Amino acid sequence: MISNKAKKQIDAWVAKYPEGHQSSAVMEALKIVQAENDNRLTSDTIQAVADYLAMPGIAAAEVATFYENYNHKPVGKHTIRFCHNISCMLNGSDELITHLENKLGVKTGEVTPDGLINVKKVECLGACVGAPMFQIGDQYYENLTADKIDEIVDGLK
Amino acid sequence: MADIEIEIDGNLVNAKAGEILIAVTDREGISVPRFCYHKKLSIAANCRMCLVDVEGAPKPQPACSTPIADGMKIHTQNEKAKASQKAVMEFLLINHPLDCPICDQGGECELQDVAMDYGSDVSRFTEGKRIVADSDIGALIQTDMTRCIHCTRCVRFGAEVAGIMEMGATGRGEDLKIEPFLEEGIQSELSGNMIDVCPVGALTSKPFRYELRSWQMNAVSNVARHDLVGSNIITQTYKGKVKRIVAKDNESINETWISDRDRFSYEGLSHENRLLAPQIKVEGTWKEVEWNVALDFATRGLANNVFNTHQTDKLGALASNTATLEEFHLLQKILRSVGSENIDHRLNVKDLDNAISLESSIKLAGLEGVDHALVIGSNLRLEQPMISHRLRKANLSGASIDVINAMAFDFNYRLNSENIISPNQTAAMLAGVLKSVLQNAQVEIPDYLVDIKVNDVATQLAEKLSQSDNSVIVLGEHIVNNPQAASIANLVSEIAQHTNSTTLNVSATANSMAANMTGFVPGKGGLDVNAMLAADLKAYILLDIYPQYDFHHSLQAVEALSNEDTFVISLNSFKDDAVAQYSDVLLPIASFYETSGSHVNVEGEVQSFAAAVNAPSDTKPAWKVLKVLADLLELPGFHYADSTQVTSEVMHQSHKQHVHGESIDVKVKRGVNVIWQKSPYAVDVLSRHATSLQATNIGQINSASMNKATAKKLEVAQDDEYLGVPVAINEAVANNCVFVNANHSTGVQS
Amino acid sequence: MNEVCFKNLDQKDPWSLKTYEASGGYSVWRKILKGELTPEQIIDELKTSGLRGRGGAGFPTGLKWSFMPRNANMQKYVVCNSDEGEPGTCKDRDILRFNPHSVIEGMAIGGFVMNATKGYNYIRGEFMEPFYRFEDALKEAYDAGLLGENIDGSSVSFDLYTHLGAGAYICGEETALLESLEGKKGQPRFKPPFPANIGLFGMPTTINNTESFASVPDILAKGGQWFADIGVANSGGCKLFSVTGHVNKPENFEVPMGLPFKDLLEMAGGIREGRTLKAVIPGGSSTPVLTAEVAMGMTMDYDGIEKAGSMLGAGSVIIMDDSTCMVEALTRLAHFYYDESCGQCTPCREGTGWLYRVLKRIMDGNGKADDIDLLMSVQDKIMGNTICALGDAAAMPVESFLRNFREEFEYYIEHGKSMVKG
Repeated sequence: MISNKAKKQIDAWVAKYPEGHQSSAVMEALKIVQAENDNRLTSDTIQAVADYLAMPGIAAAEVATFYENYNHKPVGKHTIRFCHNISCMLNGSDELITHLENKLGVKTGEVTPDGLINVKKVECLGACVGAPMFQIGDQYYENLTADKIDEIVDGLK
Repeated sequence: MADIEIEIDGNLVNAKAGEILIAVTDREGISVPRFCYHKKLSIAANCRMCLVDVEGAPKPQPACSTPIADGMKIHTQNEKAKASQKAVMEFLLINHPLDCPICDQGGECELQDVAMDYGSDVSRFTEGKRIVADSDIGALIQTDMTRCIHCTRCVRFGAEVAGIMEMGATGRGEDLKIEPFLEEGIQSELSGNMIDVCPVGALTSKPFRYELRSWQMNAVSNVARHDLVGSNIITQTYKGKVKRIVAKDNESINETWISDRDRFSYEGLSHENRLLAPQIKVEGTWKEVEWNVALDFATRGLANNVFNTHQTDKLGALASNTATLEEFHLLQKILRSVGSENIDHRLNVKDLDNAISLESSIKLAGLEGVDHALVIGSNLRLEQPMISHRLRKANLSGASIDVINAMAFDFNYRLNSENIISPNQTAAMLAGVLKSVLQNAQVEIPDYLVDIKVNDVATQLAEKLSQSDNSVIVLGEHIVNNPQAASIANLVSEIAQHTNSTTLNVSATANSMAANMTGFVPGKGGLDVNAMLAADLKAYILLDIYPQYDFHHSLQAVEALSNEDTFVISLNSFKDDAVAQYSDVLLPIASFYETSGSHVNVEGEVQSFAAAVNAPSDTKPAWKVLKVLADLLELPGFHYADSTQVTSEVMHQSHKQHVHGESIDVKVKRGVNVIWQKSPYAVDVLSRHATSLQATNIGQINSASMNKATAKKLEVAQDDEYLGVPVAINEAVANNCVFVNANHSTGVQS
Repeated sequence: MNEVCFKNLDQKDPWSLKTYEASGGYSVWRKILKGELTPEQIIDELKTSGLRGRGGAGFPTGLKWSFMPRNANMQKYVVCNSDEGEPGTCKDRDILRFNPHSVIEGMAIGGFVMNATKGYNYIRGEFMEPFYRFEDALKEAYDAGLLGENIDGSSVSFDLYTHLGAGAYICGEETALLESLEGKKGQPRFKPPFPANIGLFGMPTTINNTESFASVPDILAKGGQWFADIGVANSGGCKLFSVTGHVNKPENFEVPMGLPFKDLLEMAGGIREGRTLKAVIPGGSSTPVLTAEVAMGMTMDYDGIEKAGSMLGAGSVIIMDDSTCMVEALTRLAHFYYDESCGQCTPCREGTGWLYRVLKRIMDGNGKADDIDLLMSVQDKIMGNTICALGDAAAMPVESFLRNFREEFEYYIEHGKSMVKG
């Protein structure tokens, strides 16, 4: 359930914390395991992470359901995390989200039929001077316009 | 901590610096509302109900997490405090359902009670109320999570007391949800306490669901008899039936918790299998009769088989370990009055010449203060849950715990070392420990230890015991039928003496301490149980015995008791085929909570209890039956008006047993050793008939565990039967050992 | 402008060790390694500088560092709070991207002062670019022998690690951050005990904001008085302000404390063409909103903003022009707190949802006449009754929006539509 590569990555995080505090790495471990399992977590993968870090399953589940970065339902290959908080809203994020939904033909929360993209409205991503903005993977895209969005989305494979 | 003075609501109060405010107000009888605070759990301060006004603090402070300081002035009732309390109450109620009329917590709901004082009669919340899906968490606890107020008492109970974090708070914000991770049922043997700690109707008793309103029931204090603790309980009854059991505080015994076995076994009382009418066997056929007919039949049987032929030494009495102190006393008194010493309760011991004899020298409460423990031969958590809990507390405050077992068990605390060795090696191991202890103390090594090799494990175990100031050695049930049981007990005694350790003997459970106290063992010239069964006795009086569960030599027992020339009087609370086969008269007796009596716990504390309900139907408390039987036999000294007179008679006599066995056998034995144990919820007849307990994960434990090598030797494979129990190949079991846990009658024990 | 955290912004590769050292970076740290600076001296300088916590609470940094039981015989920790997430705030991201070594040096100095040999930088999970930048800088620092055990043969040891969040605003609250660092849900702890006594892994811990740490090396290099003189009384030094919203050139500006708001607005290019200033949230979404009139007379320092009726917070200045529907703006903020409430304590868990739902209902045209009183009452009942400041943060915008722009809410309730947008 957890690949050896993932275990290595998790181990690198575990090494950052004092002995006996390996559960500090649970947040990253869940992300690592999520990334190699269709970008989502199931009770099995959560339990596997808990077992790997010698913590109760429910404690890992608490973490997995508390933080926003974990998915529990199917998502696309790319999740477009569109900020709709105040600074972005003042700069037209709502209109751009509608534009994106129309372009993709799906509403936020839905996955495109080809499984490639889903859009999620998220709270402030801390790039307010670049509003409106969204995040795909590790990358922030700022000062968005309808044209810029089209270009970015068209480039997603 | 220094004495300080603080002011609460204008009154000066003395307290210790650093005490938590709510502990002080509770002590002073000042009412501060609360939901998340629980004196036995860590502080969460999340419900915010106990906010009070502390002068100088800009914001209201929660009494549950505010350490007091000298001169502090606190207002629990002023405008500021009240405003906060009422605010919190309103928030708690906006999403709480209005299903109080069908809520089992109704009438004993902390939210309901506090809402009376702090709630408003009109709701300003007009949005839709939150609805939360329930989880099925097993047979014992009903969830109605829409009612949950997120106090997290149950979560903290699991993590801190039960030692297994099973419930958690998932999600966040308004969607925070108290739930288990996987819906496979709660595993803890203490899970029912979550019901007690839940302040609302989110977690309630499943067997009790929709039975009654709490105020319809009577409450009677009682004592649970399933283990060596004698946990204090409250039996809640309605129209002569026990409807629910909850924990009763007794700090020195069970604190505020009880095991699930103590909480839910009452269900067995109303099982259809109860024996409800006296019966006699006439020409091989059972016939229901009046009590006087049955008792007359019994006394005539005794007269014919024993008294008239002057063979009183051919009369035997055996009793189950669940009998009350008074029952043990009266039965042994009858036997001794007629001149028989054939008395025994140690039915499960294979060889009584090799019986364990070890005094316990530590109090239950003392257990949590030890700095080290050595546990030998016990799955303590499931056998003696509250004792295990005390040790867990000791462990959490730093005590190290070493274990010598024949199988690795799921301890819910961190062990210093877990030594899994074959039962054949236990004596040799302890001999090594003793030798190492003596060497360290520079004491002369006795002859029997000269050839013993001291290995690293023994050295380490010895070192721990020698170095600890306050250590205890716990001797458990798995040693009972060890080929060197007596030697092991003596070794423990020696080790304890030389390391200044206390001892705790948990090898015999239930009310076995009462049996010892009343001298319910053979006296001079008497036969022990195994000798009786081999001796062709002419008559028996048996007290609540179920041979296929209770006797080690169960096949031989049934056979011996079925002898045509043997007249058997059985006092039983439940029907049983084997009992019916060998008995000549069946006298239906009261079960737990239906009789008055006493339990003696492991520390020797005698706890008496009254009957919570009347004995059902035609059943009678066994102590009364035995008294009447004695009267009919015209025996002197049985003029008791009530059971407490029996109790005080016991308290004024002494039946102290002496430690025997100077010879200690420390040689490693050969062959496969079977440790046979009833499953935790099959230990006594009442538990076995408690359907909800049986439906739990623990209730389902039924396996003969052994490792691959042993299985090969015994020529069995996974899922085969061994001694009537499915084989489970498990490498956690020591070599040459089969660990049998049976939850049903197998008819075989070895 | 741009004198401390942003001083190398116009250099090539401002994030590199080379650039940092060329501008005097790690000079303080090297002095410490040589034994030329004592913890007491450093605390004195910091106190003189007037540096106050840049994360929002504004607690004097020197004083905070003096609270640590530096002689206690146990592991101690310094933790950097880079869990930037307050709507309107995006300054720490740029510090991490463009000047990571200042954070490393600041934390190392903190570690030395507080005798904490281990540090963690908690970076919000979405900040992957800053995370990689910071990790690269860490590697550079280790490779240069600036971190580790007995650094450069001295008795000073300091190991620094990054920890990534996973999406929870509440982890910016320092005790929630510690819980998160321990691999738990980010639920704030009640205080006391304070982290300086029982913090990370139960050990004494001090948590400071990224900008606070990043300011420390320059303060010590150039003197506390130098820094204090940049700012005004009670607000020493310069501060990063994130100016966002309806301005022509939204940007982060490092400017002296005490700068008039109108000057800052001008630096950001002023209000968009054809529009007028309507409202300003001066310190991030949690701080009370101000009317244009009040804002225009305000100076950008702790006392100046407080005098205007709000708080400096994290220096996140959200500008709203006359096209803004205040009902919509507040509803968006209320949703944020509702979404981000950790759920632990009752008033916040239940109250933030209540506030949001009432506002949403008004936006849906189903407002009731007494809804404004209800909102005022609910926010008042959350205020001050929660474990952490998120409750207050959720309450304050509601109170200030309703107080300053009540007529817009009344209009929406009465007409079922926005007074501004129709």
